[in-house]
Amino acid sequence: MENANLATMPFQEHRTESGGLPINYIEAGRGNIVVILDSIAWGFSNLQNTLAQTYRVLVLELPGFGSSPVNNESSSAKELANVVAQATENITPQKFTLIGTSFSANVALWLAIQAPEQVEALVLISPTALHPLEMANQLLAHPERSPGLPTLPDILAKEQELIRRFGGGTHDAEVEGRLNQIQCPALVLFGSKDQLVNTSATSIYRREIPNCNVSIVYDAGHLIEAERPEALVKAVVDYVERRETFVVNRDSRVINP
Amino acid sequence: MKASYFGCMAYAERHKFPAVWPVPPSYCDAEIAMQSYQEGIEQCEFAEEMGFDWISLSEHHYSGNRTTPNPAVMAAAVAQRCKKAKIALLGQLLPLINPVRAAEEIGMLDNLTGGRMVVAFMRGTPSEDQVYGMNPAEGRDRLTEGIDLVIKALSEPEPFSWEGRYYQYRTVSVWPRPVQQPFPPTIVATRSEDTVQYAASHRLGLGISYDQLEDVARITEKYNRWCQESGWQPTSDQIVYRGSILLAETDRLADQWLERLKPNLRERGTAVRPSVSSAVQAARAGKEFDQSKVFTETSQANQVRDARGLVSFIGGPDTIVKQLKAFHDQCGTGVMDLVFQQPGINHREVMNEVELFGREVLPRIKDF
Repeated sequence: MENANLATMPFQEHRTESGGLPINYIEAGRGNIVVILDSIAWGFSNLQNTLAQTYRVLVLELPGFGSSPVNNESSSAKELANVVAQATENITPQKFTLIGTSFSANVALWLAIQAPEQVEALVLISPTALHPLEMANQLLAHPERSPGLPTLPDILAKEQELIRRFGGGTHDAEVEGRLNQIQCPALVLFGSKDQLVNTSATSIYRREIPNCNVSIVYDAGHLIEAERPEALVKAVVDYVERRETFVVNRDSRVINP
Repeated sequence: MKASYFGCMAYAERHKFPAVWPVPPSYCDAEIAMQSYQEGIEQCEFAEEMGFDWISLSEHHYSGNRTTPNPAVMAAAVAQRCKKAKIALLGQLLPLINPVRAAEEIGMLDNLTGGRMVVAFMRGTPSEDQVYGMNPAEGRDRLTEGIDLVIKALSEPEPFSWEGRYYQYRTVSVWPRPVQQPFPPTIVATRSEDTVQYAASHRLGLGISYDQLEDVARITEKYNRWCQESGWQPTSDQIVYRGSILLAETDRLADQWLERLKPNLRERGTAVRPSVSSAVQAARAGKEFDQSKVFTETSQANQVRDARGLVSFIGGPDTIVKQLKAFHDQCGTGVMDLVFQQPGINHREVMNEVELFGREVLPRIKDF
């Protein structure tokens, strides 16, 4: 899954604290800041590593997720967003591009709404905030094609339990009503075979967020990075660099000069 | 001078569109879309009846202001109702599409119309550079290579391979051959000097849209000079101008109508985000676009320009005749392609204008 042409960036492990909760994060690279909300334990590093070639990348693990200690304090994505906002403020006073996947994307969404002064662009990968379907283990469209997917049943079960407690499996009407308050440019990506979110969610983001692009990643399920990593990385990196102008293609189509 | 009716096939409720392009498909109601096409075809049919020489169709995308993303499909439908007029594709956005497919469509249409096709090729608006993922920096070169390929594909009697910069086809053998040999009258729609020069050196016609008279005159002067340097002179049918028109029984009535239309005269669903527009322009110019220096987003959509500046020809028949004559005399325009279906003007009003134009204007401009 790693891009062989890119150097592997030396991510350093760190820890900060916010709202009485310890927060693990890893960091690499220089430049403008990209904050990725992720579960470090899952080990998807392709996007992080590619971005770290050009940006200072901070990968924050949501408290209670992955390998971090149990979180009995928070009760919603909205609350977690406050915790993350404080944590990022501990690390840097600068504005950043914020990326979240699945439930982390819901937290990113709330962070962009509640702390607009911190977020200069937003990337939501497979967000489940709007019209999620029955929580299922159908994370992949083609499990047979992804033999390298980490099998972490304990962490998956722990995270799913937490997400349930945080209301991650239900439609967040409050956030839907506040999408029009998002001031920064936003990219929302869905796999064309995402089985965890009703496809009706796609158009809501596009319609309600004032500056929003929606990308459909063909033949991917909910875990796009597991199934179409190159397509995901290409779209996200392009968007982080060029935001809404990423619709203007700059790739040459010359066959022979 | 010949008159051409531009069949916009505009969606009837386009006044409800948001300001910005692309217009979300959710704005399209099938009933209204079907009705709009029927009215649009009816307008073309009536224009032919009133004496218009050409019916033109354009390629535009992701909006209902010109609901003809594939003008070849529209031409096939219109040609079934308009039996005498030339059917003009003005034009296909060749850099965006497969030129061999374009040649096949032109070949089919020229047969279906009994040799009545006129074709034009163009780059399209900056927003349309986004439509099929083309790099705007390559649009101009794709256009000229594409035109060369279409013409070769229509005129070459034996199968051939094409090893281009942008296109590579190892087998090209287009069927059917066009009725008009070696290929139908072909126009390049452009205002950029290098492409005007290309048209002149390839003995192709020139199409210009919406520019002011003085600017068009400057371009056609150069075109004529370059044609002469290439050893030929364009015919009157080879200089085409497209402009919008507001025609009433008298100048006073036209002015009153303009006054009423003012709030709605600017097309909706056309504005592009300033940042994206700047990025396209930078790409077209071969420059980098620095996203970090992007200015604060402000919609250009609602900027109000002088309404008169949004319409090319306004007035009663006498005034319109004078305005068209000026284009003929100063620019050599031989075909006037007119946009009647403007924002705020409904089907009935378009039909009235076409009737008036056919009755009072057309007989007088034919003598130019």
